[in-house]
Amino acid sequence: MLLSRLVGLVLLQFFAPAHAHSQAAEVEKPVPILSGNAGVLTYVNAGQGLVDTQLNPVLLVPFGDHWLVEARGEFEGAFQQQPNGSFGGPVSKHLDYLQADYIANPYVTITAGRFLTPFGIFNERLYPEWIRALQPDPLILPVATASSDGAMLRGGFPVGAHANLNYAAYVSVTSIGVDGVESERHVGGRAGVFFPGPRLEVGASWQKVLQDDSKNAFGVHLAWQPHAVPLSVHSEFAHSNQGSGYWIECAYRLSQARFWEKAMRRTELVVRGQQFFNGDISSDAAQALGLPGANTGEADFGVNYFVKDGLKVVGSYGRQLSSAGNFNQWTVGIVYRFLVPLGREGAP
Amino acid sequence: MKRIPVLTIALLLAATAFAGSSSKKEASAPTPAVHSNLDPDAMRTLGEQRFRANCGRCHAAPQKFSPRAMATIVRHMRVRATITDEDMRLVLFYMTQ
Repeated sequence: MLLSRLVGLVLLQFFAPAHAHSQAAEVEKPVPILSGNAGVLTYVNAGQGLVDTQLNPVLLVPFGDHWLVEARGEFEGAFQQQPNGSFGGPVSKHLDYLQADYIANPYVTITAGRFLTPFGIFNERLYPEWIRALQPDPLILPVATASSDGAMLRGGFPVGAHANLNYAAYVSVTSIGVDGVESERHVGGRAGVFFPGPRLEVGASWQKVLQDDSKNAFGVHLAWQPHAVPLSVHSEFAHSNQGSGYWIECAYRLSQARFWEKAMRRTELVVRGQQFFNGDISSDAAQALGLPGANTGEADFGVNYFVKDGLKVVGSYGRQLSSAGNFNQWTVGIVYRFLVPLGREGAP
Repeated sequence: MKRIPVLTIALLLAATAFAGSSSKKEASAPTPAVHSNLDPDAMRTLGEQRFRANCGRCHAAPQKFSPRAMATIVRHMRVRATITDEDMRLVLFYMTQ
């Protein structure tokens, strides 16, 4: 009896702010949305051509003032150049996430379902083709970022006048890894501090596997957009038994150029440097996870041209250096972001 | 594993249908995007600052959509980018002006 009263009191405290909050501020009623991106990219790695076509639909379905069901799928055709010059290859599909979010109060959102693992920032925030500044993935992306199946608490709130704290803590019962790597159970979290003044965010991530040798993975991240120049800097470091590494990327919009101003405003130059160091797993196991099989360094240079809102043409050149062999990689393609409201929008 | 796509499609269709039907009832009574004690100009200025600080961390400014579409987008971004409640409301105000 005492226990049930205690649970009741805790639940009351937890949900009371949400109710009070919904009365305090009315917002426009949201409408379901189908969004996402479609892209066609041509890669030439070490002289080998690959045409990659992707469609990543995102469905957002809000309910009431506090709920959101969201999902993203991926349909991909990777067509490799054959010896006779033609292209052929597999067409794959999978569900990146399907989650229900309950915004309990200004500090806590509860998420359940399959969700993107909040380890670092690339996987959750920068992965979509229309957002990423360079199309090739960072070498360390597969470290601790397989989709999670379970529950998560997350949120962001001010801490003082000049900083916002953001956090995510999750438990995953099963996880389906990259290219069908075995399931696992893990817990983890990420915390970051964002300083709106200098537009600087720094944070750290952690994940612990709850089976086998209970390995830990750690990561730190940084994002910075200085006021003085149209520059965007992102960086991540990750360490795990699967391998360790870092990447740092700078994207510079040529909006300050004093010639061909219309074209320059739409042009972005990108440079990324990164290194990967082998972990405790075999080369074959690393490659099965999508990681390099040997210590690797890479430098990439890219140009993005924003034709119009949601449509950009991309191109990049990279040089990968490793004990397994050095090679060039070229990328050129076009990416389009779409958004279609699925209900009545009302007056704009 | 084969059950996942079927369940997924069923859940998404049901969710879309339910939300779509409820939105029709709500469309007849549009509400202001945000209520605040600040005057609209101050809110717009603050909203633009918060937009550039939060959204600009990852992507360029998109075009503006209808208020109801923006309400969904901002709710999605609140969860995805863990932006604060106040920032979400100011960004929504700015993006719907």
